[in-house]
Amino acid sequence: MSCLLQKAIRPIWSVKELHKSAVEVLKQPSPEDTVTASFGKFISEVKPQHLSSVVLHRSKRMVLDSIGVGLLGSTTDVFRLALQHSQLLYAHHDVSSVYGPEGTKLSPTLAAFVNGVATHSMDFDDTWHPATHPSGAVLPAVLAVSDMMPANGKPSGLHFLLAFNVGIEIQGRLMRFSNEAHNIPKRFHPPSVVGTMGSAAACACLLSLSPSQCSHALAIAASLSGAPMANAATQSKPMHIGNASRLGLEAAVLASQGLEASQLVLDAVEGVAGFSAFFKDYAPQHLGSPNHGDHVFLIEEQDIAFKRFPAHLGMHWVADAAASVHKNLVGFGPGKVTPAHIQAVLLRVPDSKYINRPFPESDHQARHSFQFNACSALLDGEVTVQSFSPEAMSRPELLQLLRRVRVEHPDDNPANFNHMYGEVQVALVGGDVLRGRCDTFYGHWRKPLTNESLRKKFRNNAGAVLPTDKVERLIQMIEDMDKLNDCTPLLSQLQ
Amino acid sequence: MLRKGVTESFGAAIHALGASHLTDGVIRRSKRMMLDTLGVGLLGTRTDVFDKALKYSQVHSMDFDDTWYPATHPSGAVLASLLALAEVTPTTPSGVELLLAFNVGIEVQGRLLRFSREAFDIPKRFHPPSVVGVMGSTAACAKLLGLSSRQCANALAIAACSAGAPLANAATQTKPLHMGYAAQRGLEAARLAQAGLEGNPAILDVEHGFGVYYEDYNPSAMTLPGVGGSGWVLEEQDVAFKRIPAHLGMHWVVDAALTARAKIPNLDVSQIKRITLKVPPSKYIDCAFPTTEHQARHSFQFNACSAILDAGMSVESFSKAQRERQDLKELLGKVEVHVPGDNLASFDKMYSEVVIETNQGESFSAKCDTFYGHWRKPLRQEDLVDKFMANASFVLSSEGAVGLLDTIGNIETEKECTALHSYLKLTTEQRDRRYGLRTWSQSG
Repeated sequence: MSCLLQKAIRPIWSVKELHKSAVEVLKQPSPEDTVTASFGKFISEVKPQHLSSVVLHRSKRMVLDSIGVGLLGSTTDVFRLALQHSQLLYAHHDVSSVYGPEGTKLSPTLAAFVNGVATHSMDFDDTWHPATHPSGAVLPAVLAVSDMMPANGKPSGLHFLLAFNVGIEIQGRLMRFSNEAHNIPKRFHPPSVVGTMGSAAACACLLSLSPSQCSHALAIAASLSGAPMANAATQSKPMHIGNASRLGLEAAVLASQGLEASQLVLDAVEGVAGFSAFFKDYAPQHLGSPNHGDHVFLIEEQDIAFKRFPAHLGMHWVADAAASVHKNLVGFGPGKVTPAHIQAVLLRVPDSKYINRPFPESDHQARHSFQFNACSALLDGEVTVQSFSPEAMSRPELLQLLRRVRVEHPDDNPANFNHMYGEVQVALVGGDVLRGRCDTFYGHWRKPLTNESLRKKFRNNAGAVLPTDKVERLIQMIEDMDKLNDCTPLLSQLQ
Repeated sequence: MLRKGVTESFGAAIHALGASHLTDGVIRRSKRMMLDTLGVGLLGTRTDVFDKALKYSQVHSMDFDDTWYPATHPSGAVLASLLALAEVTPTTPSGVELLLAFNVGIEVQGRLLRFSREAFDIPKRFHPPSVVGVMGSTAACAKLLGLSSRQCANALAIAACSAGAPLANAATQTKPLHMGYAAQRGLEAARLAQAGLEGNPAILDVEHGFGVYYEDYNPSAMTLPGVGGSGWVLEEQDVAFKRIPAHLGMHWVVDAALTARAKIPNLDVSQIKRITLKVPPSKYIDCAFPTTEHQARHSFQFNACSAILDAGMSVESFSKAQRERQDLKELLGKVEVHVPGDNLASFDKMYSEVVIETNQGESFSAKCDTFYGHWRKPLRQEDLVDKFMANASFVLSSEGAVGLLDTIGNIETEKECTALHSYLKLTTEQRDRRYGLRTWSQSG
């Protein structure tokens, strides 16, 4: 297996076949001019020196956070299920490390799958704008491919970061092809659409594929993209990230073996849908060569949000708003908030059906419930990992409070992570009304977590699974990642 | 507003369907499908893409597999995953159990395709096998594994996460992978459901569930055949089996081209002035100068010219040598494509007309409404068997090929379906032997 995965220097099969008659040339852009080709070229040509210090800094934070949530995620039921499934259904192939359980390795695609599931298992992973969870789809695949490479051919820390950033960049570029993508999704779950493409791009970069192969990797990945929103807030949602990571990896490996697909997959072709199939409005744009010197990675223009607790991003606004009300309430009287004092709770939130759940029945649903998160924060002053435990979820005082919640969707509150707000109004039994409003929660890209806060989150997450010395080593290694000659030390600290 | 119950009904039906529900008509038709699919699958193992891709993709590697209406290739994803699963279940399924599971996989696809008007036309957005194929595969596997109603419903929800590949990869080397992935992901989904993974219990009911793959979506509950007047979809609507390894649309054009050509005694191809094709509107099968074998299988122009040049079409027609002939390329330059307003992009309603004009001013034309092999004019059993034997013999010894033929023919009486797997392993010594290159020279 490993011989396939040397830096692939394969003949460019498709170039030989690219004889087009004059008639065809009139009808279509030449292969080199397509949007698809421009993406392939970018992935193949981008180099570590194109990474600015801001990009390095931000992406290292993403890698740290992603590994942390992945490690915590390795304690969940859905992770165990995915791991067992992978071990039972497939032959032993101990190549790539799995987050958490020591000594557990799987084939690269399955490791990417299982680690992706872990990353999204609690909805604790990063969120970007336009909306997707970019790191969970990319990092597991990059780790798995790194594990695959021979001992004397492992990528340096800088190459690892380059591949990671390519995976993020491609996702960002693709989302900008559509206005629909800018709002909270309704049809396809974004990580399943752009995540697969990002993973394919990252792996193609790491494998040093040619421009043509990189294009084909994207095209193959397009056939493996796309899952409906309906499985959000169910146990299956983490699979979307797991699959995105795994299938993107597969697409890149298939492309490295010479498999070809549509050369127009990203372009808009009348009558035959390519990547456009996933969007109602679609306007693709060329990606300029990184060698022109003016390319700016999107992560530099648009920072990312890291979550403070494991729930859908929308919950963070209402939680912060409710927490400020809690502070006032506690200031009012006794140190604890009891539902007996509360007459009614009004939430003023954007209109988004899949995060509007008055009485969630599972932790997955609770992570997608404005009502649950607001009430938890009202009672406890904050929402934490523990807020979603069975005990916390079944507290009588929480259920009492949930019954008193009403939801409104003001016209000025759009379903958009860049523009929405969360407002909590609590009417007390005595007649007083307390209000809390949050426009930008702490952790949002407009108010990023400090390095200290991010590391604290990482220590809590990773520390649930790894001994302290490994946790600290990981923090240090990721901080110095761009100076690592060989990423092997990182790969061995994940279990 | 959520309409509940459709997903639940599918889960319940998949769980409850039994051998007693299989009618003679369904048994006969589905056995023909299994035979044809095995044959094209075996032939497909000789292709380049098979070497590169997952082992289940060979069924669709040459676009030689069955086609249904509304449009999809139903058997490939289902049979591939069932054969794989049958090798690893704790007890080996009987022939009837395999046949039942197969039909459950077909039935679910047929039902899902009827949830949308869009599905009735030649596709533009998603490649249908990638949408319904994975659902059929998971339903079939769920049946074989004996999952509960709830687990069957979960399998469908999990499988929906893997549905939907864009059409742009049709006419490329990646198209066969759609079938392979549909089979594999469907099998996985059933296994995950068996392990307890849950998805949305209303996945088929809601628009943001399975409905995302269609512009219009109107689901309805699945009832058991025989209940409330409904029967198996396969009994109401037969499949088409292909005579050449090319997109279904090509078959009309080839039929018309051969008929028109037969009207010209002693044709001198160099004397052809113009070839006019009248075809339905469909961009991905309109390819004036195909440069790969995959494009050639999706080109009205190529298939018409090939048929006219050789007075016949076969598997070999798509080989590199045949594609790159100078006289074929010259002929391609003389083709004009018209899309008449009354020619609908639907495999049930389309037609093809071919007009050959010569330098001498003569004009010969023919029209094909229904090619031989279409569901309105099904292949006779002996021709289906001939196709199977020709395909299978590329890979299997005659013992293997004949053994498979007999086993499928009597599958409902087989106590264990292991015979299938055994015959599939009897490969021929002479890998280069071509068993009777069947040429389609005249429509049956």
